Amino acid sequence: MRNSLKVGKWEMKRNLKSKSFLISLFLTPLIFIFFATVPNLLMDDGSGDENGTTVYVNDSIGAYSMLESITQEQSFLSWNLEETDQSIDEAQSAISSEDAFIQLNEETLENGVVSYVTGDDVSNQFTTQLQTLEQPIKQMQIQQADLNEEQMALVSSPIQFQAQEASAESEQGNMSSGPFAEDPFENGIPALFGGIVLFSIVITGMMIFQSASQEKKEKVAEIVLSSVTPNELMQGKIIGYFALGLIQVTAWMVFIIPLALYLVDDIPIMEYLLTPQLLLFVLIAILGYLLFASLFVGLGATLEDASSGSNFQGMVMMLPFLPVVLIGPILADPNGLAAQIGTFIPFTSPAVLLIRLALIDQWPWVEILIGLAILIVSIWLFMKLAGKIFKVGILIYGKNATPQEIWKWLRA
Amino acid sequence: MESVLTVQNLQKSFKDTQVLHDISFSVQKGEIMAILGPNGAGKSTTIRNIMGIMYPDEGEVIFHNHEGTTIPRHKVGYLPEERGLYKGVKVMDILLYFAELKDYPLDSAKERALTYLKKFDLEGKENVSVDELSKGMGQKVQFIGSIIHEPELLILDEPFSGLDPLSQDVFKREIRELAENGTAILLSSHQMNLVEEMCDRLFLINKGRRVIYGYMKDVKAEYANFKCMIYGENDVQTLEAIPEVTRVEQDGDTSVLYLEPSATLPDWLNNIPKDLDVQEISVDRISLHEIFVDVALGRSIAEKEGVLDA
Repeated sequence: MRNSLKVGKWEMKRNLKSKSFLISLFLTPLIFIFFATVPNLLMDDGSGDENGTTVYVNDSIGAYSMLESITQEQSFLSWNLEETDQSIDEAQSAISSEDAFIQLNEETLENGVVSYVTGDDVSNQFTTQLQTLEQPIKQMQIQQADLNEEQMALVSSPIQFQAQEASAESEQGNMSSGPFAEDPFENGIPALFGGIVLFSIVITGMMIFQSASQEKKEKVAEIVLSSVTPNELMQGKIIGYFALGLIQVTAWMVFIIPLALYLVDDIPIMEYLLTPQLLLFVLIAILGYLLFASLFVGLGATLEDASSGSNFQGMVMMLPFLPVVLIGPILADPNGLAAQIGTFIPFTSPAVLLIRLALIDQWPWVEILIGLAILIVSIWLFMKLAGKIFKVGILIYGKNATPQEIWKWLRA
Repeated sequence: MESVLTVQNLQKSFKDTQVLHDISFSVQKGEIMAILGPNGAGKSTTIRNIMGIMYPDEGEVIFHNHEGTTIPRHKVGYLPEERGLYKGVKVMDILLYFAELKDYPLDSAKERALTYLKKFDLEGKENVSVDELSKGMGQKVQFIGSIIHEPELLILDEPFSGLDPLSQDVFKREIRELAENGTAILLSSHQMNLVEEMCDRLFLINKGRRVIYGYMKDVKAEYANFKCMIYGENDVQTLEAIPEVTRVEQDGDTSVLYLEPSATLPDWLNNIPKDLDVQEISVDRISLHEIFVDVALGRSIAEKEGVLDA
């Protein structure tokens, strides 16, 4: 174990000093930030300045105070309201390019027509934003119609669609609207975090593959093996790249969390993130890493030149992306057959579990535990097999191993 | 003499082919012991079995001064035949890593690394990236890596391959110095001339079997008979008829006569037929190289398999 830690430390230090790792470490979050912010900046074009659009309102029906409260509630409405006595004709000729004008009068209540004027530089979004007024104006119309309270309630209540399950347990199904969680953030944010951890360490897991393959190419293996056993070398690599993965996640989080806090300031991200659920999600992510790390380290030891791998090796490399196939069916039904099968296949279970647990409120603990048990047993098995492959493969020079040879090593 | 390593009755097979037949030898403190043999004779396989990179089917590898059945990795230095260095790291970093793996204190390792870099004419290269080293420089760094932890036993598999004559001399000097300071050294090579000069004992192996095992000077006395080169027009039959000649090789006007071990030179020279055409004549000992070639081709000496008192 001590030797494994030494190897792990070396692998970590070596990569931390390598330019390509450092570049990808900092470039990835920068790209992330670029994609998160630039589209927003582009969309805000025109009305994106801090002051927002000045909206002049000619109100003859007493709707101004309601309008004020709406603009305050809806943070995406960057309107500065101002009352005016100008008529629409005057506004048409006098309005400046960054302002807008809304007319609310009897016609609005009777025919449901709101006339407005916008300056040249007011963004197209203004029209969409106007839709927010629809509901309150409707409310005023109903009030005008002199309905009694019961009728009012009926008219103004939205139509709800309720799913009923066809099975005998339908009583329970009534309770919530479908299998989805009440609060999507409660599990979603920790799961998203777990997902980032999984993604990052699977990526670094792929670096293990390169590292093992390079060890062969650079022919250092035999020198190192005069000091440590093959198993120690393999475990050391797994530990080293695991630490690298964590460093990567930490670095990303340093960028992403403040950005996320800045972009979505109305969701208390930190409160949602630091929950007991997070522990489970991180555990799932780590198990996922161990599985793929053992797979890749064994595979890397069979290849001297990664670019000349056979179809067999290529297929193994694709395994981490298998869950992508299942995302559609799982989103459609997080408790469906596809989701359940995905939970029980070790290659898909980390990602599938993360997606499922984020979506559903009532966690199927039996399935989770069976899935985790299968995963842990598979990790143990793959570590053993990878050890066998690694031991022989790392010392074979000048050629890539064929699947037949690998099979022979496994049986030895 | 104190034995550091003893190999007893080593047997190893790959698939159906037996590559090592009953290999036994020992390496002693402060000596240079050479395993010699043509390519594919089993030198590297023997070494890999000693280092625990492979395991013998039968036989024992005993490290004296060490309890238990494991290999005392901290006391052994190893330079494999297939060797390299991690790319993109500094020379000093990789040397310290090798030292750390051997549990050797890092400050002493640093000091030793600097001393040896200087000895190998690589002074000031400690912070240079491995990528910038030439092949020869890389080999020197690998060599330093194998001795950084002051091993009791140093195993060098083909240490001279790929080196220019100048670097070969530096390597020879350092290996000799290590042996003088008490390190037991086991080295394999197929470059006879280099080994002939420096090793104390040798183990000649061919097709996985021992051919010769003994002290260099004894081997030379036993096998390195005289050979006589004559330049002139002569019949092979005439030459073969000369007493005490075992074999004649003729290439145009040059004939090489191999003499029996018992031949004494002055008597033999007196007995050369007077009618022989001799433009030039030279007499020499058979070199290790020729013994080696003989062995590899399975000629005369090879039949006389045997051990000298070692």
